[in-house]
Amino acid sequence: MRLNKNMYILVILLIICISLVAVFGVNAGSVQIKGMKDIRFGIDIRGGVEAVFEPADLNRVPTASELESAKIIMETRMDAQNILDREITVDNNNGQIIVRFPWKSGETNFNPQAAIAELGETARLTFRDPDGNILVEGKDVKESVVQLDKKTGKPVVTLVFNNEGAKQFADATERLVGQRISIYMDETLISAPNVREKISGGNSVISDIGSVEEAKDLSDKINSGALPFSLVSKNHSTITPTLGSGALDVMIKAGMLAFAFVCLFMIFYYRILGFVACLAIILQVSIQMLALSIPQVTLTLTGIAGIILSIGMGVDANVIIAERIREELRAGRSLGYCIDTGYKKAFSAVFDGNITTIAAAIIMMIFGTGSMLSFGYTLMVGCILNFVSGVTASQIISKSMSMNDAFAKKSLYGVKVKEAK
Amino acid sequence: MIKFYEKRKIFFALSAAIMIVGLVALFINGVNLSIQFKGGAIIKYSYTGEMNAEAAADKATEILNRNTEVQLTEDLATHSKKIVFNLSGNSGLDANDQDKFDAELKKAFPDSQLELSESNVVQPFIGKRFLTNGLIALGLTSLFIIIYVRFRFKKISGLSAGVIGLIALVHDVLVVFFIFVIFKMPINDSFIAVTLTIIGYSINDTIVIYDRIRENKPYFEKKTFEELVDTSINQSLSRSINTSITTGISILIVCILAFAYNIDSIKTFAIPMLVGVISGCYSTVCLAGPMLVMWHKRQQEA
Repeated sequence: MRLNKNMYILVILLIICISLVAVFGVNAGSVQIKGMKDIRFGIDIRGGVEAVFEPADLNRVPTASELESAKIIMETRMDAQNILDREITVDNNNGQIIVRFPWKSGETNFNPQAAIAELGETARLTFRDPDGNILVEGKDVKESVVQLDKKTGKPVVTLVFNNEGAKQFADATERLVGQRISIYMDETLISAPNVREKISGGNSVISDIGSVEEAKDLSDKINSGALPFSLVSKNHSTITPTLGSGALDVMIKAGMLAFAFVCLFMIFYYRILGFVACLAIILQVSIQMLALSIPQVTLTLTGIAGIILSIGMGVDANVIIAERIREELRAGRSLGYCIDTGYKKAFSAVFDGNITTIAAAIIMMIFGTGSMLSFGYTLMVGCILNFVSGVTASQIISKSMSMNDAFAKKSLYGVKVKEAK
Repeated sequence: MIKFYEKRKIFFALSAAIMIVGLVALFINGVNLSIQFKGGAIIKYSYTGEMNAEAAADKATEILNRNTEVQLTEDLATHSKKIVFNLSGNSGLDANDQDKFDAELKKAFPDSQLELSESNVVQPFIGKRFLTNGLIALGLTSLFIIIYVRFRFKKISGLSAGVIGLIALVHDVLVVFFIFVIFKMPINDSFIAVTLTIIGYSINDTIVIYDRIRENKPYFEKKTFEELVDTSINQSLSRSINTSITTGISILIVCILAFAYNIDSIKTFAIPMLVGVISGCYSTVCLAGPMLVMWHKRQQEA
């Protein structure tokens, strides 16, 4: 790329734009970019609950479909409590379900341990008549599958009852022809089909369902009512929102103070090169924010520490470069040559240093969970960005600036005039 | 120019002294493995007024039928008070039991306005898995670094450079570990995160100097290896110092604020990180360089 003396203005404007997008996000019709305020914070920052559930009194590892059923039960329950901002992860290898959900600030009578205990209870699936009397229970449902009606081509849910269930269901449908039978999970109504005729033989069909997805959802919920075990959590942590946000405030304050200090130090010591280093850091942090907010990666406190560390690495890259440029300048060569050579000579050190850190970060992401994962992610993104902002962008700015007479004095690059001759 | 190789004995003695202090502390304090790794339960409540720790411990033991230690803490900045229940043994706690505990505790101390602040309940096997994964990550990172340095720095006998880089790194990790031991901080996930960070930082430091040695090598064919290493360290000294100042002071700011607001999760992260950063710079400049010369001399004699 050919550089000219005004290029730096363009790059600086670009950096300003990216940082504005990172802070405020973009909300213009079809273009939607999430900004800093939409970053998904971990429960250690915003407060909340993290619990690992395992089957109670089960002396085998639960199957994948059992765990899936358990997950569906939890989702239904959390929907009922309007906890929509949650993460439920199924760990098939270890037979566990990990649940994370935030603790909204202002919810003073929230009882996290009771909420955890309730989530794990055996789901109670019931078929009730219009007066609320229980007709059949979930344990009497053998299975439920989604099928396509051969005549209409529409999805239906087929229920198969065991002997007891079949008998109860036949009695109930005989009595309730023309009325509705309501299917509840706990106290949440999940379906209320109309009874057309008496159903004996233990096979029942629920029709008039909109889409295959809806049918599958209903069928999954009915199946999960037959889950033979309850879940307990003996591994959970809770943190109040006030405590969490306190930690975030401190981190933000510390980050801003540290950034101000680094900028002052760098500008005082390396002048223009220090100023360029600050721009490079702003660019790096902005893209790092976008890398968190756009894919909605959870940011924990250790993730913030990862950002701080990668800023440190970014500053280091710029210090190495600036020192190299100064060495060249002291040898009395021309400014443009010195900047090019400085970047060239510094690159191998910056490259090797960042590659090893990126490797460490990736290893952390593979083996870590939660806090380590967040740390590894921010660190990895930061170190990759070091090549983009700390090396490439900063080189374009400093080279282009040096082509202007106003910035051509060597003393502006942290070299004493006497030294530079 | 500072002659690092000549002064090596001072540095080796200093590092040996630090290691001895650390080992003594380890002997006296032991390792405080956090419940995150060994399993257990810690429940914290905020309260107002005065609380009798012993009475609270007795009540907790009675409710849960499990020996409980109680500690009262006060935040220096906000003066909010907390009571910490540390359940003995390393098994977790059923959420139902914790709910019962919560209700009965509030009933027993109605005037203290107990509010759950945070709780951490870990099953031993989950903690063990977490620790194993952390250690695997540490091992793999070390292995990667030796192999990487071995090939990238062939010019300055890659294997010795890799092994010495790793020694410097183990030195820094031990320093971090001893900080946890001396301050009796629990070995938890922030220990793993700090250790991994320091590994990255320390190896980055070492690589910057190796890079300089590699670059200078062709110009020093007629001079000794000792001169080559000492010159290279001195040439990159202002970079080493400036980077350590910026990183060090940035972390110091985090440290100070963490103390001012008494945020444990940040404190246990920032203090060892600060020491690790200083150690990382020191071990590269004062240990790795001279050791590289020693290795080289030994090889020439043989």
